[in-house]
Amino acid sequence: MNNQKKRASARIEPFRHRVETDPKFFDKSWRKLHDAIREIYKQNASGLSFEELYRTAYNMVLHKFGSKLYEKLTENLKEHLEEMRASVEAAQGGLFLEELQRKWDDHNKALSMIRDILMYMDRTYIPTNHKTAVFDLGLELWRDTIVRFPMIQGRLLDTLLELIHRERTGEVINRCLMRSSTKMLMDLGSSVYQDDFERPFLEVSASFYSGESQQFIECCACGEYLKQAERRLSEESERVSQYMDVKTNEKITAVVVKEMLANHMQRLILMENSGLVNMLVEDKYEDLSRMYTLFNHVPDGLTTIRNVMMSHIKDTGKSLVTDPERLRDPVDFVQRLLNEKDKYDNIINVSFNNDKSFLNALNSSFEHFINLNTRSPEFISLFVDDKLRKGVKEANEDDLETVLDKVMMLFRYLQEKDLFEKYYKQHLAKRLLSGKAASDDSERSMLVKLKTECGYQFTSKLEGMFTDLKTSEDTTQGFYASATSLDLVDAPTISVQILTTGSWPTQPCNTCNLPPEIIAVSEKFRAYYLGTHNGRRLTWQTNMGHADIKATFGNGSKHELNVSTYQMCVLMLFNSSDALTYREIEQSTAIPAADLKRCLQSLALVKGKQVLRKEPMSRDIADDDSFCVNDKFTSKLFKVKIGTVVAQKETDPEKLETRQRVEEDRKPQIEAAIVRIMKSRRVLDHNSIMTEVTKQLQPRFLPNPVVIKKRIESLIEREFLERDKTDRKMYRYLA
Amino acid sequence: MLGKGDHHQPQEEEEDTGGVVKLISAEGFEFVIDKKAAMVSNTLRNMLTSPGGFSETRQGEVRFPEIPTHILEKICQYFYWSLHYSSGKETAEFPIEPEITLELMMAANYLDT
Repeated sequence: MNNQKKRASARIEPFRHRVETDPKFFDKSWRKLHDAIREIYKQNASGLSFEELYRTAYNMVLHKFGSKLYEKLTENLKEHLEEMRASVEAAQGGLFLEELQRKWDDHNKALSMIRDILMYMDRTYIPTNHKTAVFDLGLELWRDTIVRFPMIQGRLLDTLLELIHRERTGEVINRCLMRSSTKMLMDLGSSVYQDDFERPFLEVSASFYSGESQQFIECCACGEYLKQAERRLSEESERVSQYMDVKTNEKITAVVVKEMLANHMQRLILMENSGLVNMLVEDKYEDLSRMYTLFNHVPDGLTTIRNVMMSHIKDTGKSLVTDPERLRDPVDFVQRLLNEKDKYDNIINVSFNNDKSFLNALNSSFEHFINLNTRSPEFISLFVDDKLRKGVKEANEDDLETVLDKVMMLFRYLQEKDLFEKYYKQHLAKRLLSGKAASDDSERSMLVKLKTECGYQFTSKLEGMFTDLKTSEDTTQGFYASATSLDLVDAPTISVQILTTGSWPTQPCNTCNLPPEIIAVSEKFRAYYLGTHNGRRLTWQTNMGHADIKATFGNGSKHELNVSTYQMCVLMLFNSSDALTYREIEQSTAIPAADLKRCLQSLALVKGKQVLRKEPMSRDIADDDSFCVNDKFTSKLFKVKIGTVVAQKETDPEKLETRQRVEEDRKPQIEAAIVRIMKSRRVLDHNSIMTEVTKQLQPRFLPNPVVIKKRIESLIEREFLERDKTDRKMYRYLA
Repeated sequence: MLGKGDHHQPQEEEEDTGGVVKLISAEGFEFVIDKKAAMVSNTLRNMLTSPGGFSETRQGEVRFPEIPTHILEKICQYFYWSLHYSSGKETAEFPIEPEITLELMMAANYLDT
């Protein structure tokens, strides 16, 4: 302004006095700025000197006109904005947003220039007086004058929501405009964005999706519906990324999830013919994984899916294990269980992200229904028996290993593991003695698996069986080596398996009368064995052996017959006589009736293997039936295998017997557990004993509380324990 | 460039490139300095970067009718000194004669330096 003169007069405070004395100083200065701001709003700033304007504002602030300047500025900006508002309001229809946008851009540009000019005020006056900085002031004024002006506020919101609705229904809208509009709201502060746009947007979306989902759920199948929901979710996310604040994503997703999924969850999951159960049944991996990801957003969503899946598995499993049809074929029964397990393992792996909680649910469901059938342990053992018998014939060892591993999974579900052990022992004994064990390696690997699962105790006897076989082989060899001097050349070759009592399943010892040739050689063996091992007893288990015999039939055909010991005894009789009645056979062999009948049936009635002829040719064997050698016997094979008694599922009385034996075996185990616990605790109440015992025995079986109670009583009787004298519920350990 | 600001050189060659800016003192002396150096002052920085297209931005020259030549010269020296030493790696005294201190400080306030 008037710098040069005063610089000459006063060096130190050059212009202050002069200016202060000028009463019109403020008005003059303000006029200058006022005009400049108008030019700026007209976008015609090129004629303006920044320095001059800055200096003017600088001097005004320096001379304590800051607050006045601020007031004037506010007023002035408001005037400009009101002008703008008029033009925005006047804009028609679709041009409204564009006009608003244009004005917003102008205002922004002008504002940043004004801020620069008034920088000195921003720097000194505003912080000390706690005012809003110039730029923010401009935004606030824009917000209050334009965006929140009732006529515009409603119109802006309606326009935005209308556009979004149109986009949702498939139209293409100007996303750039949308983006800049929401950007404007965000620039005005997150509260403006939230209050003026986001909240109503979420409300409108909620009602939109509630309506749409209602419509879909009436006409769509579950899979279809979920596809729709997934599409909507990704659309909304995409929309947010295109023209909204990132934070809105979470909120709109929550809205869609709530309206489309959470509100209809039960109905969707349980939908008949297309819901979760249907997807499971039909292995619809894609639909399932979609359901999993979608309901992952819903609180309790996965729990619901899991529970429905669990109850479905339990139901199907239950019908599987209790179906009397299935019980006929144990191998098929177990195979079905394995298939079921594979199926769900696959589903969980592929569709449910291998979710741990789902795997647990699967396991507990299997555990639940497998134990519904008390014969499961037996059947699983039979299944293993079947696999180990056929083993190498059907598949290579690797495949067998995987099958065994799978079986071990089923085994883990069993509560009565001791029952399984019992059966496994029986089946293993049959396999080993009849030489049907297909592969020694597989047998042993199965043993190792059982051992890692249940510990040494579980398998020690099973291992003992293998050791017995090995030593027997050595003994037999030793017998023949030492017997060269003895006259054994013409006698039949025997192979003796010496079984340690206790390691092997106890069988009722049914001795029969062996043919004299056999007796001779077996007596020699007995002498040899007892000679090397002092103080042992040797009994012949004739019901478990087998024999190869050469037979020449009347028609001249020669065959080698592979038969059981009993069958051998019967056939040998026909060396001396042509025909024998059942009663005669029974008398001379002394084989128990049931076994004899079975053995005769397999000799005379099995098609293609009729070594004997029976009169009359009926299915059942009566006492008076007579048998003779079938002279017309023919077979394509030289070696003929006569039906051996294959391990079969037990008949009912046998089952009962095994069950009783198992119960009997459990008693000492329960007692041992009680004593172990009481020895360390000294004093314990009844309920704690119950839980502790159950916990200790869990890996082998689930003890029945009544049985535990009986055992405790028995221990009290035998003075291991006593009841506390004052508190009858407490037990004390004695000794 | 530093040399140019060092002495009173009334007329520097007029270059309107982006690299330099001309500062004109109250008495009409012109100082051509690097834009980079001018940016040490926040006021100048705003002036030169403001989006509106003020006359200063277009012409690349700024008039300071209230800053006498010897102060403006000192200021230009300071710009280069600051540019060079403000990183703090090496230090050097910036000499200020006592008699110009007050005026210099007022100018510094004005220029937000």
